[in-house]
Amino acid sequence: MWTVSSYVLKQKLTGTKRFPLVLMLEPLFRCSLACAGCGKVQYPPHILKKQLTPEECFAAVDECGAPMVSIPGGEPLLHPQIVEIVNGLIARKKYIYLCTNALELKRRLPEFTPSKYLTFSVHLDGQREHHDFSVCREGGYDIAVEGIKEAVKRGFRVTTNATFFDGTDPNSVRAFFDEVMGMGVEGIILSPGYSYDKAPDQNHFMGRARVRRLFRAILSNRKPTWKFNMSPLFLEFLMGDRTYECVPWGMPTFNIFGWQKPCYLLQDGYVDSYKELLETTEWENYGVASGNPQCANCMVSCGYETPAIIEGFGSWKGFLGMVRGTFNKYPDAGALKLLDEIAPHAPASLVQIEEPAHSLEETHV
Amino acid sequence: MSAEVMKYTLAQVEALELAPGTDHANLEGWVPELANEAELFDALEKAFDYRGDVTITLKNGERIEAFIFNRRTGATLADSYVQYFMPSAPDKRKVSYAEIARLEFSGKDRAAGKHWEDWVKNYNEKKAAGETNIALAPEALE
Repeated sequence: MWTVSSYVLKQKLTGTKRFPLVLMLEPLFRCSLACAGCGKVQYPPHILKKQLTPEECFAAVDECGAPMVSIPGGEPLLHPQIVEIVNGLIARKKYIYLCTNALELKRRLPEFTPSKYLTFSVHLDGQREHHDFSVCREGGYDIAVEGIKEAVKRGFRVTTNATFFDGTDPNSVRAFFDEVMGMGVEGIILSPGYSYDKAPDQNHFMGRARVRRLFRAILSNRKPTWKFNMSPLFLEFLMGDRTYECVPWGMPTFNIFGWQKPCYLLQDGYVDSYKELLETTEWENYGVASGNPQCANCMVSCGYETPAIIEGFGSWKGFLGMVRGTFNKYPDAGALKLLDEIAPHAPASLVQIEEPAHSLEETHV
Repeated sequence: MSAEVMKYTLAQVEALELAPGTDHANLEGWVPELANEAELFDALEKAFDYRGDVTITLKNGERIEAFIFNRRTGATLADSYVQYFMPSAPDKRKVSYAEIARLEFSGKDRAAGKHWEDWVKNYNEKKAAGETNIALAPEALE
């Protein structure tokens, strides 16, 4: 927290207009899952075989200067030099979120060393049946949970990250929060799904009104045991209590193609340097305020958590809001009603898993 | 993309219940006519968005089978180019629009033909048949 707050204050004091908070470093697009809601990995085999070298990763990190580095993908643990990449970033004192589906986590853990700079952010989209159906792999939840437990046991920092689509049952999500906190994770990261135009499933992306309703139901009346590894102000944004404009330059993306314009989610071209990214991207063409239809449903952290963090560390008012948000349980009788209202309207595709879910559990006893 | 931004009002965006999905155009196998500059610009924009390899034939007769991952457009064909990766070479390469004579969307569209509904149907059928460890596997890399 100190690193981020001092970094934000320094940018403000030096009058830097645009600065990166988190570098989204995608070392490869290869993945061991084929999730229906993901539009990141649909490439020809020769592209999926390519990967960034450790040197390319370090050069991007050094040029950009963000205090935090998120390593998504693809599945980073499929990269043969991921340990070297992680160790190089730790040596640079970067806070790393290694985002993994955890299918390989347990096996690879002995190669890593616990560090305050390294967090494994494990993809879990909900309780067992919901996660397995979401990632289109039966048994995926159990493998991931095994990895989480082993990582926690070995002293690693672990969070979970979940993406929610239309049809998500808020009651199940709240039960899921209980489950993961019980595993000893440090906190939970969550996000509404972004409508990738390359994703196999094009029918379950929520619009903003529905996102706010779902997250209000999920995040109000919080239990004391729940911890979120996100800006409290951003969570209030998801619940509809705050409005922010997209800040796509806050979390720039680098991958095998170069620096991605304008953000982690959209691919409007590539440039060779971070400087060029900042200088040549027409930032006003993106975000909800721009009217760009590709941004219309986006409430994702790569665009909207940066302004929340800047507000939180950039003003006393914002800081107090953040402190209040950290301890507030958000009691809300209306949200309790929403819990009952939203669940029955889940779309057929997710309702269908109710029956197989029992079988799923049986197969893993 | 930027040139064709459609404008939504903020009120419309904030009231959206479901985000409209994308209908994928079936471009696999397409050979655009490239009768004029505008058609070439349009076809290369589509090629940039396409998640499969394309075959570029240059005016000197050379054929390049590649994945186009970037395009930069200037005022003329000569100062516009695409960047690509070839299966047989590790480095990024580029070619000017002015050198391109023919384009064919020759490779499989990796973003097409996979639907959530297919997964649900497939899952239920396999489950009914008593299968376990049902999963959608990523495509083979060879």
